[in-house]
This record gives sequence, C-alpha cells and structure tokens, in this order.
Amino acid sequence: MFNFKISLFSNTKKLEGKIDAFHDKVIDAAMTFNKAIRTFLEQQRSDEFKKINKQIKQIEHDADKLRRDIENNLYTHNLIPDLRADVLELVENIDRIINRFDEVSYKFYIERPEIPHIYHSRIINLVEQVCECAENMSIASRSCFRDFSLVRDYSQKVYFLEHESDIIFGHLKEAIFDSDIPLANKLQLSSLIEEIADIADLAEDCVDELLIFAIKRDI
Amino acid sequence: MDIMFFIFLSSGLFLGWSLGANDAANIFGTAVGSRMLKFRTAALIASVFIILGAVYAGSGASQTLGKLGTVNALPGAFMVALAAAVSIYWMSASGLPVSTSQAIVGAIIGWNLYSGKPTDISTFNVIASTWIICPVLSAVFAFFTYFAVRGLLRHAHIHLLRQDCYVRIGLIIIAAFGGYALGANNIANVMGVFVESSPFHDVNYHGFLLNGTQILFLIGALAICIGVLTYSHKTIRTIGNSLMSITPAVAWIVVFSQSLVLFLFASASLEHFLSARGLPTLPLVPVSSSQAVIGAILGVGIAKGGRNINWTILGKIGIGWIATPLIAALLCFISLFFLENVFNQTVYLP
Repeated sequence: MFNFKISLFSNTKKLEGKIDAFHDKVIDAAMTFNKAIRTFLEQQRSDEFKKINKQIKQIEHDADKLRRDIENNLYTHNLIPDLRADVLELVENIDRIINRFDEVSYKFYIERPEIPHIYHSRIINLVEQVCECAENMSIASRSCFRDFSLVRDYSQKVYFLEHESDIIFGHLKEAIFDSDIPLANKLQLSSLIEEIADIADLAEDCVDELLIFAIKRDI
Repeated sequence: MDIMFFIFLSSGLFLGWSLGANDAANIFGTAVGSRMLKFRTAALIASVFIILGAVYAGSGASQTLGKLGTVNALPGAFMVALAAAVSIYWMSASGLPVSTSQAIVGAIIGWNLYSGKPTDISTFNVIASTWIICPVLSAVFAFFTYFAVRGLLRHAHIHLLRQDCYVRIGLIIIAAFGGYALGANNIANVMGVFVESSPFHDVNYHGFLLNGTQILFLIGALAICIGVLTYSHKTIRTIGNSLMSITPAVAWIVVFSQSLVLFLFASASLEHFLSARGLPTLPLVPVSSSQAVIGAILGVGIAKGGRNINWTILGKIGIGWIATPLIAALLCFISLFFLENVFNQTVYLP
C-alpha cells in the first residue's frame, strides 16, 4: 500500500512536470516565432534568422517528445481514466499549434518572400496578436490542470485576440491585393499571412475544447 | 454437527451470495467501472472488510430483526431466507430497485402470520421508518459532502493528476469502509433468521475469541464475499454504464454517504454514545445499500441544481417499499405451508 502510494505520487509528480514543460514550449515557440518574423523582415534570410529558425525546430522537436511521454505515461500508469481522452486530444491540438509555428517559420526560410516595407508593421502586428493568442491559450490550458476557474478569463482573451487577428489579416490581405506587386507575390504573401492567422484559429479551437474540459473537470 | 443445518442454511448462503453479487456494485461499482480501481483490488479490500464488519459489528441490526419475529425452527428459517431470495430475484428481474432488508422483513412477517406469532408493531414501525429515513439521510449527507468536496477541490488548486491520485486513494479507503458498513448492517439480512437455531458454540483459538453468532455471521460473510468475488463484476458491467456519467469524485461522495448511513444504522457503539448523552439515536436496522446509493445520487443531483434527476426512480422505490415485503410475506406464507404439510418439516416451535 505504502509503495503503491509512493510510486503513484512520484509518477504523478513527473508527469505534472512534463505537462508544465509542454505548456512552456507553446510560450517558447510563440516568442521565438515572433522574433523570427521580425528578424526576417529586418534581415531576410540572415544567419541570425537561420539560428532562430533552428531554435523553433528544436522547440517543436522537444514538444513532440514531451507529447509522446505524456501520452505514454497517461496510458501506462492508467492515470485520469475518465478525462484521459480529453487530455490527449488537448495535448495533440496544442502540439499542432507548435508545429504550425515551426512550419510557417520554415516556409519563410524556404520561400524567402519579398515583402514590401509598407506591410511590415501590419505583419508584425498580426504576428504579435497571434503569438499573444497562443500564449494565452497555453495559460488557459495550464490553469485547466490546476485552477480551472481561470480558464474562462484566459479563454475570453484568446477569443478577443483571435478576432483582432482576423481583422488585421482581412485588412492586410485586402491591401496586398489592392497593391501593384505581381500577382505571384500577392498570392505568396496572402498564403503566408493566412497561415500566420490560422495559428490564432487553432488556439481558438483549443480554447473551445478547454471550456468543455473545464466543465467535465468540475465534480 | 448436523449436516441438516448446513442444508437448511443454504438458502441463507444463497441470499448472502446474491447480496454480495448485487450490493458490491454499490460500494466500488463506479470506481471499477470508470477504471479508477482494478476489480481484483477493490473486491479483495471490500471482502476483507465485509467479514470484519459482519463478525465484529453485525449483532446490533440482527437483534432488531429478532424483535420483529424470532424464527425458532431451522426449516422455517430456511424458508424465510429462501422466500426473501426468490422475491429479490423477481423484483430485480422486473427492474425495480430491490432491498434485501425489505424482503427479509416481509418474509419474517410471513412466518409470523403462518406460525400465529404476533408481529411487534412498534419494531415494524421502526424498521419501516428507516426505509424512508435511509435514502433521505443518504441524500442529505451526499448534498453537504458534495459542497464540501467541491469547495475543497476548487480552492485547494490541486493539479488534476494529483487530484486523481487522492480520489483513487479515497476510493480504496471508502471501499474498505463501505465493505465494513455493508457487512455490519446487512449480515442480519443474511443470517439473522438463523441465529435462534444456530448450533455453533463459542470458540477460543489462541486468544482469538468468537461467539456462536459471530461464527454464523462469519459463514454468512464468506457467502457474501463469494458473491462479491464471483459475480459482482457482471453486475458492475451492467450497472457501470448507467453510472459512467458520475465522475470518480462524485462516486466517492456517493459511496461515502451510503456507507455512512449503513454504518450509522449498524453501530451499537454510536447508539450507546448518543443515548448516554441523552441524544436521539438511530435504530440498529439492516437498511438497503441500493436505496442509500439512489438517495446519495439524488442528493448530489439536487446539489448540482436538480438537473438530470430521474424522478421516476423515486416512484420505483415507492413501489418497492410496498411490493417487496408483500411479495416476500406472501411467498413465505405459501412456502411454509408446503414445507410443513408436503415435506413434513417443523417450521415453527409453539
């Protein structure tokens, strides 16, 4: 009985740490992505940008490892059987956001889009909204594990930021297609900013799921 | 020892087996159904504590049943237990929440009627009042425990995984307490009618003292445990799905409330404690764990704002209050007639 308690608590403590670390990765990915896009706009595909791009890849790789560990631990030690499926889905969806940060950053690296200077401030604004949205989603998700009464507050922030990013994306896309740059550039830019804005949509989907999870989590 | 005793005891053992098979689901059904506990772990813990409860605290409720009617002949006791067991089977098959206690009370009254012995009306009133008090008290306990546990979980900000650990340990402890309470309270249903005709004497094994009634209760408790270990997993599989919407924490609240009620109706020491201080006491009566569970689920439902409560279940309990003792009494009366006149058995002593 005593051994059972000790091993149960030690497994739980380790997994708690992994779930926290996984949420940290979302914030790391968001901040690094923000830095990567700013660097690209200033320096194009410089060594600095390549370095930051590698950092995002490493964050994505670490997050994948943590996700697999969390999933394995939940099943191996038969933890939270009633909510396990919800936690797994949540972890998968959060991981999708981290993957998207990596994919978009890599797309900038590969495609090297030519972005006229007049759009820089609006792209930076969009990236900031999207990153803040992902960060707030991460905080909401983390609170769902400890203090689920906070989930609603952070979810509201995510909804607001997602809406803001949609507006910025709409105006930016309109401005791009109203400009005189070649159609190929317009399409490339439009596709890239759409992918950036999509990250906020993914965060919003996670939050929808979190709100249901918080209701289930209450006794 | 007379082999006939064990043949006649078989109906009581069958009743014990069916009690174990059915009522174990009330103690750890949701915990096993929701995969919080392994069946083997839960069944083993509950079984050990059912035996402890039956042997060390089972006499109180048994004495009250004795006051209702002292079944003084072994074949009569056999038929009382058998009539109760068959009534339970019929009621269960009809989908009604059946109570072993109500069935045995009905069967004893059937024996009283057949043998011409008077039924102690005041004892009957006390027992019948517990059929209402038991689910109501369980609902009240569950109602307040729900708010206490919810308040604690909301304010303690415990990590979901750690909460899972605590609930798991809580379910293990409650399986033990539930087992003890079930053994203490319900052994009277299984073996109570055999107490008068028990051939067992006191045993002192290396300072380990058991009186005749305790040995009888030990045998009854073993029958309950066999029911728990051999058949309750099937009951859990059937009931488990309908209880799956209950979270493990709520399952803990339900089992805690139910077990507390069973314990209160079985604890002689608590009765002494309260009466010594001039406080009102609860009668020591075997009560239905199934109805206590339904009461507790209703209590939690009311605490949650009264949504999703299946009020028809209350109607079913009401039908059970009347139908179970009536069927058992009638069945016992008719069967005693056959046992006495066809099989030439002495079913009562004048």
